[in-house]
Amino acid sequence: MILNPSQKRGLVGAAILAAVLITIGLVVTYFGSRYQLRLVYSAYVNLLVVLAMQVFMGNARLTNLSHSAFMGIGAYVAAICVTPVTVKSISLPDAPWGLNAFSLDPVSSALLAIAITAVLALIVGLFVVRLTGSGVTIFSLAVLVIVHSVFLYRTDIFKGNQAFFGIPQVFSLTSIVILSVFVVFIVRLFRESRWGIQLRACADDEVGAAAMGVNIRRLRLIAWVLSAILLAVAGIAYAYFLGTISARPFYFNHVFLTLAMLILGGMRTVTGAVLGTLLISFGLECVRWLETGPVLLGIDLPEVLGLSGIALGTVIVLTMALRPGGIMGDQEIEDLVLKKQE
Amino acid sequence: MEYVAQQMMNALAFGAEYALIALGLAIVFSIMGLVNFAHGEVIAVGGYTMVAFAALALNNPFIVIGGAIAAAILMSLLLERVAFRPVRYADPTTGLLTAFGVSIILQNVFLLAVSPRPVAVTSLYFLDWPVQLLGVQVSSLQVFEAVTTVLVIVGLMLFLKRTTLGLAMRAASLDFEMVRMVGVRSNRVFAVAFMVSGLLAGLACIFIMARRGSVDPHLGFNPVLKAFVACVVGGFGSLPGAVLGGFLLGAIEVAMLVLLPQEYGGMKDAFVFGIIALVLVWRPDGILSPPTEKGDKI
Repeated sequence: MILNPSQKRGLVGAAILAAVLITIGLVVTYFGSRYQLRLVYSAYVNLLVVLAMQVFMGNARLTNLSHSAFMGIGAYVAAICVTPVTVKSISLPDAPWGLNAFSLDPVSSALLAIAITAVLALIVGLFVVRLTGSGVTIFSLAVLVIVHSVFLYRTDIFKGNQAFFGIPQVFSLTSIVILSVFVVFIVRLFRESRWGIQLRACADDEVGAAAMGVNIRRLRLIAWVLSAILLAVAGIAYAYFLGTISARPFYFNHVFLTLAMLILGGMRTVTGAVLGTLLISFGLECVRWLETGPVLLGIDLPEVLGLSGIALGTVIVLTMALRPGGIMGDQEIEDLVLKKQE
Repeated sequence: MEYVAQQMMNALAFGAEYALIALGLAIVFSIMGLVNFAHGEVIAVGGYTMVAFAALALNNPFIVIGGAIAAAILMSLLLERVAFRPVRYADPTTGLLTAFGVSIILQNVFLLAVSPRPVAVTSLYFLDWPVQLLGVQVSSLQVFEAVTTVLVIVGLMLFLKRTTLGLAMRAASLDFEMVRMVGVRSNRVFAVAFMVSGLLAGLACIFIMARRGSVDPHLGFNPVLKAFVACVVGGFGSLPGAVLGGFLLGAIEVAMLVLLPQEYGGMKDAFVFGIIALVLVWRPDGILSPPTEKGDKI
């Protein structure tokens, strides 16, 4: 395979990001406490989500808010498949279609989860690509609500807001670091691929791109489904580490959180997605600590619930007002290191 | 027969509420292309104003209603001035995400400053009593709702068609640059759009509060979500579309409540949104979307 210059630069950039991610992973593995390990793990799950969002939102520049729903589908399918029959007979006694009478090994569960999410995303995507601009946003919002109400309503399969427990712990921090490195490369290469470039061209000038023979709907569908597949991967990683899942983490709060991450870093670049996730994950932990009302410099601060929400909202509003392109704008990390492309 | 008439009245009342909110969203969208997610929080501000009045022992209904509407209008104007002015000429995604951020901030401010739990407001219960209309038992609230929405639509139409400012606003939705060139102050056009939007939010707030009797930080979220869907179905930015979408949504929702068997009750929203999705497949830009020519603007 012959790579063009921007793809080679893309590989360099992805390698730099991968090095950063691996370094953080190593530091935490050797020096972090159990609690910190969990925090970093969930930050990496969110990183996978934000990278997956970047595939569709960053290249097609359409706002999608249903990402948490697809992550939830991936997580639930994998969880239902992988949980041992003995546990499921207690947790899901009324499950239909013999869902509590079988279990698969983690790899085939994950593959099945990805396949089911991809098929659902394809069906939804056929509708999405017909819409434009704000229509996509509202439609994806409707998808989020539909999926969430199915999770809540079918308590016999998903247990609704109660915890779906007993998922064996398959992943460790090492596995998700490796996974995130893979995903960074996939996302970056997609951005620099033929499809990625054509999609970004559509976002800049839809009519112009169509006149040059770009099949906009097909490209958006490809990006949409790839994004959903990566979201399913994130959901699987979430379920395989935590051991319990419920419907709540796959709804609006998570949508806002990941959206803020993507926006802060800059949705147009992969570097922005990584940077935003790291900044907000770290910043939010500090805000959460303030929220509990700690003693700081001898002053006993009051407990302020809702501070993290205000901080997230402020980050979004300020980024949009001051730097709509996010911190990175159109620059990838290698643009800061390598010489400018001629 | 009476059952059918009652359900039709229900559909009309639901639809009227959605249409009120959807109009408030559409008028802002038509002028500045902003998908205003913070509209629900404007409604919630009205609700919290009622709480404040109750705490001050002001129970005169005219003061409570007037105060809530005034608070919603002021809030809407404030948001325009503080949050949306910096992103006025930005692309739609930027505006949408800003509105999202504003919405999260306000929800958490309510949570922090008042309470995460619902606060009861009893001052509007007097609006609701059973009435006989043509031999059918309905709630007075539903009648008020339908009548108010009709009055609002007529009023808005007169304002847009008969006044200079209304003309400027209609022109602004087509070509804002041109409107500025002929000497209309853009700040005034935006302010009026947000004022009308706030007024509609205030009216919607009265009816939502009269029905629910309590306010919590997420008061406006669900109604506005539905109203967005109504806007999209009707054709985003089209005012008749917003009204049509609102009433259509109300009708579908009541139809789902009546037709779905009891055990599927929890799935109502899923079915409603599913049907809406099918409408969008038929008309991707909404039923009454204005014909657009892509690539027209440079």
